[in-house]
Amino acid sequence: MTASSKSLYAVAARPGPALAGPGGRPGRPAGSAEGIVSSLSSRAATPPLLAVRDVRIRHAPTGRELVRGVSFDLAPGRVVGIVGESGSGKTLTCRAALGILPRHLELSGGSIVLAGEDVTTFDEDRWTRERGSTLAAVFQDPASYLNPSLPVGSQVAEVLRVKTGLRRREARSRTLELFASVHLRDPDVVYGQYPFELSGGMLQRVLIAAAVSAGPRILVADEATTALDVTVQAEILDLLADLREGSGLSLVVVSHDLAVVAQLCDEVLVMRHGEVVEQGQTDRVLHRPEHEYTRLLLAEHDQFGLDRVLEGRAS
Amino acid sequence: MLRRVLSLPSGRLAIGVLVLVAALAVLGPVLAPQDPLATSGTTLAGVSGSHWLGTDNLGRDVLSRLLAGSRVSVLGSVEVALVALVVGAVPGILSVYLGRTIEWLSLRLADTLVALPFLLFAVAVTALLGNGLTQAMVVTGVLVSPLFYRVSRAATLTVARSAYVESAVVAGASIGWVVRRHVWVKVLPPVAVALAQTVGTGFVIVSSLTFLGIGVQPPAPTWGGLLASDLGFLAYQPWAPLAPALLIMATVWACNVLADVVRDVSGEAGRALVAARGSRPPTHPSTPRTSGGVS
Amino acid sequence: MTETTAAVRPDARPVGSDVPRDESVLQVRDLDVHYGRGRRRRQVLHGVSLTVGPGETLGLIGETGSGKSTFGRAVLGLAPASSGRIVVSGEEVTAYGRRQWRTLRRRGVLQSVFQDPLRSLDPDLTVADSLVEPLVLQGVPRAEALTRARSDLARVRLEDDLLDRLPGEISGGQRQRVAVARALVTDPSAIILDEPVSALDAANRVQVLRILQELRSAGVALVFISHDLGSVAGIADRIAVLYQGRLVEEGPARTVVTSPQHVYTRLLVRSAPTLRGGAADRAERAELRALLGA
Repeated sequence: MTASSKSLYAVAARPGPALAGPGGRPGRPAGSAEGIVSSLSSRAATPPLLAVRDVRIRHAPTGRELVRGVSFDLAPGRVVGIVGESGSGKTLTCRAALGILPRHLELSGGSIVLAGEDVTTFDEDRWTRERGSTLAAVFQDPASYLNPSLPVGSQVAEVLRVKTGLRRREARSRTLELFASVHLRDPDVVYGQYPFELSGGMLQRVLIAAAVSAGPRILVADEATTALDVTVQAEILDLLADLREGSGLSLVVVSHDLAVVAQLCDEVLVMRHGEVVEQGQTDRVLHRPEHEYTRLLLAEHDQFGLDRVLEGRAS
Repeated sequence: MLRRVLSLPSGRLAIGVLVLVAALAVLGPVLAPQDPLATSGTTLAGVSGSHWLGTDNLGRDVLSRLLAGSRVSVLGSVEVALVALVVGAVPGILSVYLGRTIEWLSLRLADTLVALPFLLFAVAVTALLGNGLTQAMVVTGVLVSPLFYRVSRAATLTVARSAYVESAVVAGASIGWVVRRHVWVKVLPPVAVALAQTVGTGFVIVSSLTFLGIGVQPPAPTWGGLLASDLGFLAYQPWAPLAPALLIMATVWACNVLADVVRDVSGEAGRALVAARGSRPPTHPSTPRTSGGVS
Repeated sequence: MTETTAAVRPDARPVGSDVPRDESVLQVRDLDVHYGRGRRRRQVLHGVSLTVGPGETLGLIGETGSGKSTFGRAVLGLAPASSGRIVVSGEEVTAYGRRQWRTLRRRGVLQSVFQDPLRSLDPDLTVADSLVEPLVLQGVPRAEALTRARSDLARVRLEDDLLDRLPGEISGGQRQRVAVARALVTDPSAIILDEPVSALDAANRVQVLRILQELRSAGVALVFISHDLGSVAGIADRIAVLYQGRLVEEGPARTVVTSPQHVYTRLLVRSAPTLRGGAADRAERAELRALLGA
């Protein structure tokens, strides 16, 4: 594996820096979003797989808060979407939940409870065990998570061997199964191909295969379709929907495009400048937006996009 | 550009040192207290009242030789740098614009120059053109020019494919316009850095040619030549190479600092840097200004 | 070199015999473009024909490798056509040399805006310098050019105090609006826009799109090149779809979106993320992909 911080292990098993947050939870009640969240989660009978409560993330050297109070519950088989521009804090929130916050950033408030356990108590070994087997992630630029000089199949197989202790031959056949399950045509051929031989969409499928290889219950897709063509983006989104239906995977879908999130998600958080400006059931947010910024995001589609033509709306 | 360089302390210091060096080059031979070629009885003497920097192996006054040699040394290395600049940078910029044939030819020529054995080439050319400082420096300049060719070509290539150059072309800009208006400013900083480097290596090259009797005949003093002969008597006078070495070092250092400053103050980031120091020349939107701000 | 000097079949078609030349701002017939030379020569556009009328907005949609940007570049004379015919405001430009292109360009009838707001303006020139460049190239004195440029700056809702700034000192959205204003200073009859809003955030996207809509109302013809049908559908009069270098569909925007004919266009329409629906199309998309792959 490469020495770079980006590798397949980042999506599945890479040991990352542990959260450097304060030891315990802050004793104060969670923010205003609490009401919505609890009402949503009470509707779901099962306890949440991932409970994010009033999470705050701080740049330690300057003390500046980059994320201020994000809360959501992710129930099994559900999909939560986070929408926002770059710098809105949507990616940092995900990274905190994955235990891979960048250097100098720390959880300065709130709590993240993963399958019943507060992640602030996790050390690096624990994170390494959880990543891949409980939660996994795919990001925007799939090529940078693969070693360019090794065939993609062997890289996924290696992750499998490390994470699940499969032997070489078993890992290979399991990888081929995974490749087929992410709708890669000719898994045998793809197995032996190098990253540069594959298109962006195919690489993202390989990354998704690696991410789900150890059977995680949560998959975080952070701008996973942003760099792709529209038709390929739809393929990946369809694949995520298939995975959710097929194996009950819970998803956190992060995107700058409200429409992408609208395709998949049950609940949407709209973030701007580190704050959640709107949060609620997707249907409600799309049809009765309360915040001006959400209306702006909707207006783009309504006035200039496909929706204008499809719905016959006039501006 | 000069004003922006002078607005930074490091820029002022570098310019100051270079002005001193230039003064030495002009006045050095006049300032030399003794005849640089006259020998005295004491060879390899230490520092004394009559010989401030001692004498060399033939009993010549080191200070006088340093001062007398400054003109040739400085002139030589500046000549090298300027020849390299003209021979390298101009084709480097134009190779991007004048079609595939010229591009191919100039690239191969640059490769060839890099591959040429330097001393052999120098000897051959001086045999052809006659021996003299200018001939030797032109030869050296031509041989160093691929550096300028590559640096300016690389800078031009990145600019030539940018959207703003294409927008200018779509608006009817000619090659000349694009080079003057958009390319030149981007090529200048890396070329300035190369120029400073070349002036530095110029001193050393002058000295190695002097060894062979090319360019400057041995009794005539140069900084590089002094350094070379002092090194031969290191066992007797370990401190002797210090004086010429310090002079060369100071000049090269000033050139490099100047190149850094030029790079820092040019371009987008540079203007912001200078503006942050509050010395940006006041401009008004309606006053017509000339392009680029390159001096 | 950027300008076209490629040999074009001179006998391809008699000039203007079958086309109402004065009616269209831009007319392209059977355009072929190749890239590379020798063994690596590759055809990027295959016989593309498109016409843009005065004041018309054409949305040109295509994904990676469709040749959409090449089409824009060929029309602007930045990519040489290997065969076919390009007519810009009544002038047959296909066989134009460097000098003829320059003369045509300096009339300012055709301008361009490119995607990257970071690279669309020279980082070393002030906004004012960039804005007046097309006019100065026409020979307009700088002071007069600046006066004219100010009104275009207002058209893109930017303040005068931006004039003295450098691109690095203003936001990406502002930069892209300056690029649009710069394209406007010569009162062009058509502007080629290659992914003009793709790199912008939502607020700036909406603002630039509104400006483009105003230009359309003001009678400027626009060729809006994009990979995303969704970003063009609401603003274009007509939509043309490029797929693997070929024009597979062309028609009024509403028709193309509501009843696409070609399999690829259907997939494109069904794939574009919309606010309402989407998941229900999954089966249909799978079907279309199978059809397209066959």
